[in-house]
Amino acid sequence: MQKSRWIWLPFAQVPIALFAPASYGATYLTVEQAQQAIFPGEKLSQSFISLTNQQVQEIERRSDTNVRRKQVQLWKSANGGFFIVDEVVGKHEYITYAAGLNPDGTVKQIEIMTYRESYGYEIRNADWRAQFVGKNSSAPLKLDKDIKNISGATLSCRHITDGVKRILATYEVALK
Amino acid sequence: MKSPSSELRRARPLLGTIVEIGARGPHASTGIEAAFREIEIVHRLMSFHEIDSEVSRLNRSPLFTPVAVDRRTYEVLSWAQRISALSDGAFDVTVGAKLVAAGFLPVPSNSEWPCEKANFRDLNLLPGKRVLLKRRTWIDLGGIAKGYAVDRAVEALRQNGVGSGMVNAGGDLYVLGASRPIHVRHPEDASRLFSLGTFADAAVASSSGCFTECRRNGAATDPLIDLRRNSALRWKQGVTVLASRCLIADALTKVVRLAPRRALKILAQFGARAVVIDRRGVRYSVHETETRH
Repeated sequence: MQKSRWIWLPFAQVPIALFAPASYGATYLTVEQAQQAIFPGEKLSQSFISLTNQQVQEIERRSDTNVRRKQVQLWKSANGGFFIVDEVVGKHEYITYAAGLNPDGTVKQIEIMTYRESYGYEIRNADWRAQFVGKNSSAPLKLDKDIKNISGATLSCRHITDGVKRILATYEVALK
Repeated sequence: MKSPSSELRRARPLLGTIVEIGARGPHASTGIEAAFREIEIVHRLMSFHEIDSEVSRLNRSPLFTPVAVDRRTYEVLSWAQRISALSDGAFDVTVGAKLVAAGFLPVPSNSEWPCEKANFRDLNLLPGKRVLLKRRTWIDLGGIAKGYAVDRAVEALRQNGVGSGMVNAGGDLYVLGASRPIHVRHPEDASRLFSLGTFADAAVASSSGCFTECRRNGAATDPLIDLRRNSALRWKQGVTVLASRCLIADALTKVVRLAPRRALKILAQFGARAVVIDRRGVRYSVHETETRH
């Protein structure tokens, strides 16, 4: 008969150290890699657009989300598909992701490009975010600590879900 | 060109979280694609939110009528029922109505309100991958499907010739092949990490109430329902379970939280171990046959 029990250790006696990274995250894909992942073998042409105030209002009304940037980082595929790079900022996280849309405006694929997480003040600070712009896997970040191998993270994809709603509304209002 | 030792990693929003998959070796790319496909299938079959999922279909199917389901759904329900029986209902996938009432899940469309007294015993698994409901209940596989999806993804990596990699579905994870250090977040301070040690071919799942959105009277309430007290739990503990399969680890975190004494025997039965972190310290489950020689 095997005996099982709980043993309790106060933190003072826990031999393994607790440590506190200020922030961590991961870089998965550059813009070019994300394009290849979603539209393999296709040639994409850059066609950034700026939304008018009226379009912004309409997108916000339809998606029930805020449009933080008027510029849409958009590429078009030869077959009529769309590739959009977008970012979402949560209370603690900053995520850039790519959304591929089929010619009919349905979602083809979503790929996360970078994920950053912080529990300090930095996340809403433009300078802090700016350090990630243009970074890719060949230019590793100093802060780069992986989110892999962390249990209990319960990362929410709610902000990405809202971001995709906003992209779909953008398609209806400005791309269709 | 990537060197053979470097790991390819991708992340996609799935299962209500961010799923990260990493793989090494020449088949990393095809393996990761196949692994994400498996997770997408589990997501489509078992989502409570998506009206076309098999779970949603079961939640509005007529009573006393066998419903054929996908082998994956059947497999998850079979494990769920087994763990429900072992834990005497501490784990119970018919908890959906309580989660809806507490605001964690949306009200399913086209389904009548479930019977108050319904529980896992009203869900019968019949031969031929058929399911029969004896009382109206809303099944939610949120406490087990994520772990299952991780297991399926790991299997896809293996079948595609990936010998080393990892799958992390928002904290429910599996380390394939080469050993890696695993950390768990402190339940009260997400910036603090607690080192669990180094593991290979092992699953880890955690459950804690701290990072959920719902707050009641200032206390974190999380989407875990104690059916015996009929309420959502408020607590400040982080439970982590290590097991050979992520499905087991995922489901047993709930058993450890809701029935810690009974959980010891169930953990031992599955060869699993638990670590509970709260503000005072750490509790470990100890199974003495493990150390006896």
